[in-house]
Amino acid sequence: MSEKKQQKVKIWDAVPGYDFIKEIDIAEMPSWFQDGTHSIPPVTPMFGYQWARYCGHGLKFACTELSIPTCKGWEIRILNGGIYCAFHIVRDRKEIAEREGKFRQALRPWIEGFDSLWAGYKQELLSIYTKLLELDVDNATNLQLYYHNYDLMHAYMRMWEIHFMAMYSSFNTWLLLEAMTKERFGISDQDPEFQDMMRGFNNKVYQMDKKLWEFGQLAIEMNLEDTFKENKPQSILGKLQQSEKGKEWFKKFMDYMKTDDVGGWRMRRFTDLNEPYWLEDPATPIGLVKDNIMRGISYDLEATRAEIAKRREAAIAAFLSRVPQEEKDLFEGIIRLSGKASSYSEEHDLYCELFVHALMRRGYLAMGRRLTEQGTIDTPDDIFMMNPDEIDRVMMIPESHDMRWITRRRKAAWKETHKNSNPLVITNRASIEEAIKLDLLPSGDAIAIKIIVGEMPQPKPELKADLWGICGCSGEAEGIARVVIMYEDLKKVQPGDILVCPSTNPTWTPVFGLVRGVITDTGGTLCHAAIIGREYGVPTIVNTQQSTSKIKTGQRVKMDAANGAIYILDK
Amino acid sequence: MSSDKLIFWFEELGQEHNNLVGKKCANLGEMTRMGLPVPPGFAISIAVYRKFAEETGGAEEASRYVSSLGELKGQNVAIFDELSQNIRGVIEGKEVPEDIKRLVGSYYEEMGNKTGIPDVAVSVRSSGTESRPGMFETYLNVVGIEDLIDKIKKVWGSAYTSRAIAFRVNKDIPVIGDELGVAVSKMVKARSAGIAFTVNPVTGDTSKIIIDANWGIGEGVVSGAENVDRFVVDKEAFTILDTYIGKKAKQVITEKRGAYWDDVPLEKQSIPCMSNDEIVAVAKLAILLEERLGEPQDMEWAIDPESIPPNNVFLLQTRPAKVAAKKPESVTDRMIDLITKRFYSP
Repeated sequence: MSEKKQQKVKIWDAVPGYDFIKEIDIAEMPSWFQDGTHSIPPVTPMFGYQWARYCGHGLKFACTELSIPTCKGWEIRILNGGIYCAFHIVRDRKEIAEREGKFRQALRPWIEGFDSLWAGYKQELLSIYTKLLELDVDNATNLQLYYHNYDLMHAYMRMWEIHFMAMYSSFNTWLLLEAMTKERFGISDQDPEFQDMMRGFNNKVYQMDKKLWEFGQLAIEMNLEDTFKENKPQSILGKLQQSEKGKEWFKKFMDYMKTDDVGGWRMRRFTDLNEPYWLEDPATPIGLVKDNIMRGISYDLEATRAEIAKRREAAIAAFLSRVPQEEKDLFEGIIRLSGKASSYSEEHDLYCELFVHALMRRGYLAMGRRLTEQGTIDTPDDIFMMNPDEIDRVMMIPESHDMRWITRRRKAAWKETHKNSNPLVITNRASIEEAIKLDLLPSGDAIAIKIIVGEMPQPKPELKADLWGICGCSGEAEGIARVVIMYEDLKKVQPGDILVCPSTNPTWTPVFGLVRGVITDTGGTLCHAAIIGREYGVPTIVNTQQSTSKIKTGQRVKMDAANGAIYILDK
Repeated sequence: MSSDKLIFWFEELGQEHNNLVGKKCANLGEMTRMGLPVPPGFAISIAVYRKFAEETGGAEEASRYVSSLGELKGQNVAIFDELSQNIRGVIEGKEVPEDIKRLVGSYYEEMGNKTGIPDVAVSVRSSGTESRPGMFETYLNVVGIEDLIDKIKKVWGSAYTSRAIAFRVNKDIPVIGDELGVAVSKMVKARSAGIAFTVNPVTGDTSKIIIDANWGIGEGVVSGAENVDRFVVDKEAFTILDTYIGKKAKQVITEKRGAYWDDVPLEKQSIPCMSNDEIVAVAKLAILLEERLGEPQDMEWAIDPESIPPNNVFLLQTRPAKVAAKKPESVTDRMIDLITKRFYSP
């Protein structure tokens, strides 16, 4: 009895209000699915709390505003640093019909003018961010920091609202195209024929990649090539300061980081606050410039992109030639809009998560420094062991409070979570399959099905593969496996490796130019790894569930991405 | 069928009797034969009007009068009002011959026996051989043989409403024309009623059924004057795709006799005037009609508070739907439709 009680206190303590508590949460929603894309490595209490609260809100907001007929939104809880989702499925047919009528109306403006709506929302977000940046966090009063906590949360809330409005409205088209091409022409979204139609779009991710490539070219022109080639990213910074040319290059680089609308407000790690953003630690983007220089001048990003875009138009034309005349307009409309879904999926992170997380890190670290000065917590980043309500309680008079008993215990617990992996599904249904059938699929939720949980791999026994996944980008590859769990370890990846990781996000993008293939544990055909794999033409297999635990760094592996098959050659 | 028969029960009629009893009666007959929920009733053939017009001398009188006026086309519209008043005066001024009265009376009495309601309330509608929506008069909640005879005469006279005369003149149809049959149906004292289109009359979209409805009897919708409820139903899935609840301030109700506009009680103004089950029942009825008749329909229906669901929805009349312009659906419409149907219809 007493043991059980202790257990309760412990789990309740990590993210108060959003801790997963089996007795309560399973009674409310029978199945909880791990969001593998965003849960590995385990999230900090601060991040888990904010994510559960506001990402959850954004999903409910979009499902309500768009009146998604079969899903009212998601519930999010945190268990041992892992994010779990359950879906408010609408099961009553009358209610579905009523929601459907409104859904048709709400969807229309997005279908008619996705680009201009998204452009307007981007502007709204950027103006919210500009306002947050007006606060000089280092010289702010305690009261100003107290308010800043709420301003950050408001910004986070709005970001998720916009994020999911655009995401729900664009992904539906992708799903429609997938369903129609499969049904009518036998082409799945894992087929190259399909994926070629969705590649080579010009968006912010590409523009920034190109800019970094240009800075590499500039460094070469300015005779700084060796500084980049011979040093590690961290020491390149110091070396640059030793020459006039170096200083000049660095100033230009930092001007871009500060003046571009996104620039250096970009987190290195996608789903947490505990790693620096580019402006805070320019070694990260400088490392990317270095990678570009190492690849040599023959690597021409622009030409690669143009080639993929050309191939895309050819693929679309070839596909449309198979479509009956009276349906050409319809299919072309769906293909164009699906392309936007793919492009939005890639670009939105820069304006949504990566940017606002950088601002949250900036603000909360400043609060952390203030609390550390007063002995409330041990170190500034212990702030990530607290939640906003606790910050509210101590921010005005930090000298009177001691939160170390909380932050120390949570930090220890959080570190502990790195040692264990969380279950994929927590359910009181008879099996995982039944949980998926009853509590996930009826939601009709494109985001849950295509990104978070993903489709289950369909093994083909005759191929005798060791692991199975979903094809993100077709192609065959063979190479040395490099298992990367944390972003810090990404620098160990060697050219020609096959990257094996839990999932990827936009900060990982440049590594796709380096590797022969990518294998992830989680995700679906619209996850980051799949989209970027297609953009870079790198064979990619996603949602393998267990690659990071079954494959060891150094093993030779072979990928047959079109079939989702992975072979471990050195056993 | 014997050529001297003048009045018919609906169940004795079908489409083939168009020229005998007029379109509406022939249709009601067809509907009854198909087993559709049409209120019971009888049809007074066009021959009865001719008999009346000849025997009373009304036909000749009207003819003489019209001839005296000369060419009407291009004349001031005021002439149609005058013409209407005079001709209707001639017709309504004649006494209906006794044998016709007796014949109608016998059917009316039989209807009272069949329904178990003596002096059963009926609707009295025009039934010409050509469809002329909105041209002629309809009389509702008619009670007793005297009233019935009077209203039959008025329906006959309504072949000469100013709008009907103007229509014939402009279409080069003789002014003396549109001899009318009369449909006498048991009155459905509806709780809610309205119309249903199996095609969108504006866009030509044939994938949905559009239902307009109001409290009270159908005239509260047909007149088009009031803010009403609108429901859009998917033809295949029978899901309600769209619901618009109008602020229904006025309704047409029936009491002892006749029908009149009345205020809708405040608490009923902004709530739907029919349940989702009733909406679906009306939609299913409309589809059945479209399938049986082979073309999109524009029908009138009513919900009878005295009948037990699901048998409380009555078909009052139906005709081929007129579509303004057949516009192809936009790519956006088709995409929305495909997304909704594929992913969000359980």
